[in-house]
Amino acid sequence: MAIDLLDIIRSSDDAVRHQSLESIASGLDAAALLGHASQLDAYRRDESNLYARVRALFFLSAIYRVHVPTALETQSRSDPSSEVGGLIPHEGYDHLLARRFTEAIDVFLQHQTKHGVSDAISSALAQAYHQLGFQTLADQVRRSVRTVRGNQWMFRLGHPDDHPLRFRSELLTPDTSTGVRPLLCESTAVRMDLSHSAWSDIFFLGMDFPAGARVLNISVDLGVRGRDDCPMPPIETYLRVIDEPVFRLASVDLGATAEIHTIGEMFDFARDYLGLLKAAVIAAGIVPPGLEGCGRPIKELLDRIVAPGKGLELVSKINDIPKGSRLAVSTNLLGSLISILMRATGQVQTLVGGLSETERRLVGARAILGEWIGGSGGGWQDSGGVWPGIKLICGAEANEGDPEFNVSRGRLMPEHEVLSENRVSEASREKLRQSLVLVHGGMAQNVGPILEMVTERYLLRSDKEWKGRQEAIKILDEVVSALEAGDIHALGRATTKNFEGPLQTIIPWATNRFTDRVIEACREKFGDQFWGFVMLGGMSGGGMGFLFDPRIKTTASDWLQTEMVQIKSELQTSLPFAMDPVVYDFSINDRGSWSTMKSGEEAMMPDRYYQLALPKLLQTPLRDLSADRRADLQAISRRASQAGQSYEDKGVPIRLLQSVLPDQRHESEGGQSLRDLLKQIGFDSEQHEQIRSDMLNGRIGLSQNRLSPSTTITDVAPNHVHDLRQGCSAEEVALGEQSIREGHVGVVTLAAGVGSRWTEGAGVCKALHPFNRFAGRHRSFLEVHLAKNRRIRRAYDCVIPHVFTTSYLTDQALRDSLDRHDRFGFDSSVYVSTGKSVGLRMVPTLRDLQFLWQETSEQVLDQQQQKVRESVRAALMNWARSTGEATDYTDNVPNQCLHPVGHWYEVPNLLRNGQLAKMLGDQPSLRYLMLHNIDTLCASIDPGMLGRHIRGGAALTFEVITRRLEDRGGGLALVDGRPRLVEGLAMPDEEIEFDLTYYNSMTTWIEIDALLSTFGLTRAQLSDQTLVDSAVRRLARRLPTYITLKDVKKRWGHAQEDVFPVAQFEKLWGDMTSLPGLESQFLVVPIRRGQQLKSQAQLDPWKRDGSADYIDGLCDWTQ
Amino acid sequence: MQVRKAVITAAAPDQTRIPTQQLVDQCGVEQSALRLILQEVQSCGVEETCIVVRPGDEMLFRQAAGDLAGSLHFAEQPEPAGYADAILRAKSFVGDDAFLHLVGDHVYLSETDVTCAKQLVDVAGEFECSVSAVQSTRENKLPYFGIVSGARVPRFNGVFEVQRVIEKPTPTLAEQELVTPGLRSGHYLGFFGMHVLTADVLDSLAQVLRDGKTARPTLSDALDQMRTQHKYLAFEVQGRRHNLGVQYGLLIAQLAIGLAGDDRDRILTELVDLLAQRPTGGNGA
Repeated sequence: MAIDLLDIIRSSDDAVRHQSLESIASGLDAAALLGHASQLDAYRRDESNLYARVRALFFLSAIYRVHVPTALETQSRSDPSSEVGGLIPHEGYDHLLARRFTEAIDVFLQHQTKHGVSDAISSALAQAYHQLGFQTLADQVRRSVRTVRGNQWMFRLGHPDDHPLRFRSELLTPDTSTGVRPLLCESTAVRMDLSHSAWSDIFFLGMDFPAGARVLNISVDLGVRGRDDCPMPPIETYLRVIDEPVFRLASVDLGATAEIHTIGEMFDFARDYLGLLKAAVIAAGIVPPGLEGCGRPIKELLDRIVAPGKGLELVSKINDIPKGSRLAVSTNLLGSLISILMRATGQVQTLVGGLSETERRLVGARAILGEWIGGSGGGWQDSGGVWPGIKLICGAEANEGDPEFNVSRGRLMPEHEVLSENRVSEASREKLRQSLVLVHGGMAQNVGPILEMVTERYLLRSDKEWKGRQEAIKILDEVVSALEAGDIHALGRATTKNFEGPLQTIIPWATNRFTDRVIEACREKFGDQFWGFVMLGGMSGGGMGFLFDPRIKTTASDWLQTEMVQIKSELQTSLPFAMDPVVYDFSINDRGSWSTMKSGEEAMMPDRYYQLALPKLLQTPLRDLSADRRADLQAISRRASQAGQSYEDKGVPIRLLQSVLPDQRHESEGGQSLRDLLKQIGFDSEQHEQIRSDMLNGRIGLSQNRLSPSTTITDVAPNHVHDLRQGCSAEEVALGEQSIREGHVGVVTLAAGVGSRWTEGAGVCKALHPFNRFAGRHRSFLEVHLAKNRRIRRAYDCVIPHVFTTSYLTDQALRDSLDRHDRFGFDSSVYVSTGKSVGLRMVPTLRDLQFLWQETSEQVLDQQQQKVRESVRAALMNWARSTGEATDYTDNVPNQCLHPVGHWYEVPNLLRNGQLAKMLGDQPSLRYLMLHNIDTLCASIDPGMLGRHIRGGAALTFEVITRRLEDRGGGLALVDGRPRLVEGLAMPDEEIEFDLTYYNSMTTWIEIDALLSTFGLTRAQLSDQTLVDSAVRRLARRLPTYITLKDVKKRWGHAQEDVFPVAQFEKLWGDMTSLPGLESQFLVVPIRRGQQLKSQAQLDPWKRDGSADYIDGLCDWTQ
Repeated sequence: MQVRKAVITAAAPDQTRIPTQQLVDQCGVEQSALRLILQEVQSCGVEETCIVVRPGDEMLFRQAAGDLAGSLHFAEQPEPAGYADAILRAKSFVGDDAFLHLVGDHVYLSETDVTCAKQLVDVAGEFECSVSAVQSTRENKLPYFGIVSGARVPRFNGVFEVQRVIEKPTPTLAEQELVTPGLRSGHYLGFFGMHVLTADVLDSLAQVLRDGKTARPTLSDALDQMRTQHKYLAFEVQGRRHNLGVQYGLLIAQLAIGLAGDDRDRILTELVDLLAQRPTGGNGA
């Protein structure tokens, strides 16, 4: 009997349960797919088993995201009359943003029943099911975390008077000779995942497939090569009782301190950089989660659990290990903080020394809770540094008595088996140490999307990926055997096989151009003596391991340091690097988290703590200092006078002195170089001041971007567009082909942007981002566009001039890349049009921030993440208020302070910088230009489209597509009776956009002479710079100026990043359609042709739905 | 099993004066706290009581006991070496007999006609083993009590076979080790400060003192050790305990005794009157 999707979900037989969705859904027509979808939807509504429900949700999501659109496309090819544009009901979208997923699904399904299935509604349903699936999983993890025994009480406690914890008396008793209270110190290792068992440490995987959830996890001490004398436990935490009734927190690495006065402040994670310390205090039960919102002063709590009038101080230090090391530094820091706090309150019996297995499990469970509270997320192996040595961590079946019993197959908490010396001998451990080079490649990327992809793929059991997972499970056994046998060469083979095989099969984005280049370089340089590569953590580029023949390890370490920096310098304009790569020395930590208690004169904080504390201590009159603060001053004095001769010690007095003196160099450097730069690039300060004044006066701003509410905006009628989704007429194709052959057409690729959404504000040149592998290696957007051009040139044996328009921010990087790659085999017909306009970002006005966060629809986040977001926003409002609204944003590297001024300027720039004149001089036959966004990957010189443009006779022909859920930001509309493109920013009401069928792909066919005449110019006048400049200014005045807020990253410390919303102005190309007298026409093109890649989260579905292969087919990679 | 002896510990440095405090009993008669405790002890047939005191405190206690002093014996604890050590000081008095043990800073109020001590002694007599009086205790009180976990003994209401005893556990540990089925969530069986113990406990007390695992072993440590070798039950007494040693402990105890006695209406009237008065000198508004 044939099985259906429900059988797969419900079956306890592994052979059936592990079948893929594709095995049933591939090749089905839309009606059959909808039949399956309806059955699954009915099932997920009633099914009580959470995991069955989740799987049904992901099946539904994939059906609507991948299978239905494909079926609709096939259907429309055979029956053109079946083509429907489709709209998405705003009501459903509203539900979706507010996380009312079930309601959203109901609205979308009703719409589908009423209006029929469409690509648009499918995209909405896919998204709603996808989010509901993840929400259900997150809810389950939250429930499990809360129901772990030992955690439950913390959610019941509602008032500090009821607090059942008490500090241990040992910590309260001052030393008799010095009067100083003891200092509890905890040192903790970080964890290295040598196996990378295909992300099997994701909570959900462990809970659904415990047998497949296994990792080999090693606790390691670290030292930065060339900086530290020897590897040490990188994490140190300190706790002491103080004489003030406050909770003082300090992170010496981030240079941040805070005094907490109310219980509410402890839950305000983003108020400062101490969110992780606060999460630890909460998860350790000192300020239990149940107290959130109780509105009491922290003194009441401290009086109760410590002693009346006393407070606590908690300090963290991670020895400057940079973020993104993939060694789970933050989870292990959380573990260390939790451990020290639990020791102090007797929740962990052992005050000093190591932890028992039960205690480690307790700390591990609380670290999971802490991660959830802090709104971050990690895997279940991440707190491995709390355990000693080498351990195999495995998912565990849920048994009777476990909170997960009858809910999931596995438990939330895995089992840790510490491998004894009998299994992995001291000699094998030493061999590993002598071969493995640990590095931080310098990239610090968000692995969240990767973990979501892994979960989704596991649930769908797609054939290729499921086989990959099975293979990874086998490779783990090989890794363990190799380690047991002390055969590091075999271990290297296994980890490399894992990385290049199953890991990239499951998630192609696990690697990137940088990692590939470094591995290639290792192979080239060391041949057989390069034994293998290990990916640490969620993705490569940050923490990584390279295995070498021990005989060359030292040479290889030195070489790797230089080589990685070299490769980074080549790629840093295209990939987001947070820091220069570093090489670590490491050793295996066999103690696990370890605590000592220091008393008397020994009770010293780390040196950098005193550098942090000294300025404030000196500002306070001695008589106002508490006894322990006076003791701190004595400790500082002692430390300064007794500093020894070691490198670290010698600098102590100087650093202490520097901590109280103003840092002149730091204050002036940034501002000066930015001012020089602005002068150098001809920044228009007059216009800038005008914009500032307009912003402050409220003449421009986010709310003023919008068209007047009285404007009539409706959807266009069929006669306003030419629908080319079924192809163009033979005559149009012939006309286009002839024009191409005759050298009439060129391409303008807009490449001025720095990918604010693409890299979440990292500020790299988006055009150069090597985003996907084509023809064997990662290729950038620029390469894809050139490869399409190459294919058409060869097909028609012609020259198609191709110009990339840049801004100050991307110009040099783009030119360097073209030079480095010999212009990718192109001759002089590839041009770079240097942007002439640049803006200086400003601190946003509070009014605009409020408008953005309160008046604009946005996705509400999961409960805890939303709390963190709100806390961040409060901090950002304070930042804007204290820095000054509409003041220049200069507190960052110059490139992050400047901004491109919108893509409208990129066309006038071609006129102003003489590039169009040059192109016309080189190829006088040039008559048409195809302009497109850098991320519209399928935009190509299509003869039919060109023919249609020529026949239509319009100055500008815009390509539009039917919209999907993610296509937000305006569209084609009838505005007061005239068809034109309206930007999303300009919509008087966000809801209007949902009534517009077509979305602007931005791809525009331009009749050069007609465009010039709009500017009031002719070809001959292009050489007159004054005339061109004044023509551009004249037209610019007729177009609206938008204010937008963009996220910008500020990097500091060791790969730390802050994101600030900053204001900038833009003029947008689509507004050309609003100019009276300029004739525009609109072509409806297939979705694929107009699809854009705006954020990296789109990459995976884009690859899965066949778009990558489709684009590959448009390209010619052979130079 | 006959219980003819009682041991009261009152040697903690901060406990010395508590038994001498004056309280008005349910009949309106002013008595020392010690006399109230001794009356509780005698209600269940105990004939001799040993009080463990600090050296030099005997006279104070004799005076506080008044006419009940005749049944008293005294044992001294020279150093404040902990609870376990204090009980063991009464070893020679106990001999091989079962005894009732109370702490010297609590008074007890029964919710039935039978005193708390008698309820407990009756259960011990029925089961012929050590029994500790317990009561359901909310987790916020964990820092003050020894806590037991146990399984209910079928057909005997409020009787539990003890599985673990931990002194002042953290809520984390309590949740992992001390949950007793049938209690409300976040509630545990906390000691009532009253036990009937067989002489077996003396060996356990001696052993935990010898082990030296903790600096000042408690009775809970000894009971946790004893339960592994001897039958040991807990019994949920129908009554209330009042700790006189905590802040406002004496006041609350007095109110509780008064409200359970002949002068209930008078006390209530006074309380209402107090409540109705506007405090002076403060921020009354």
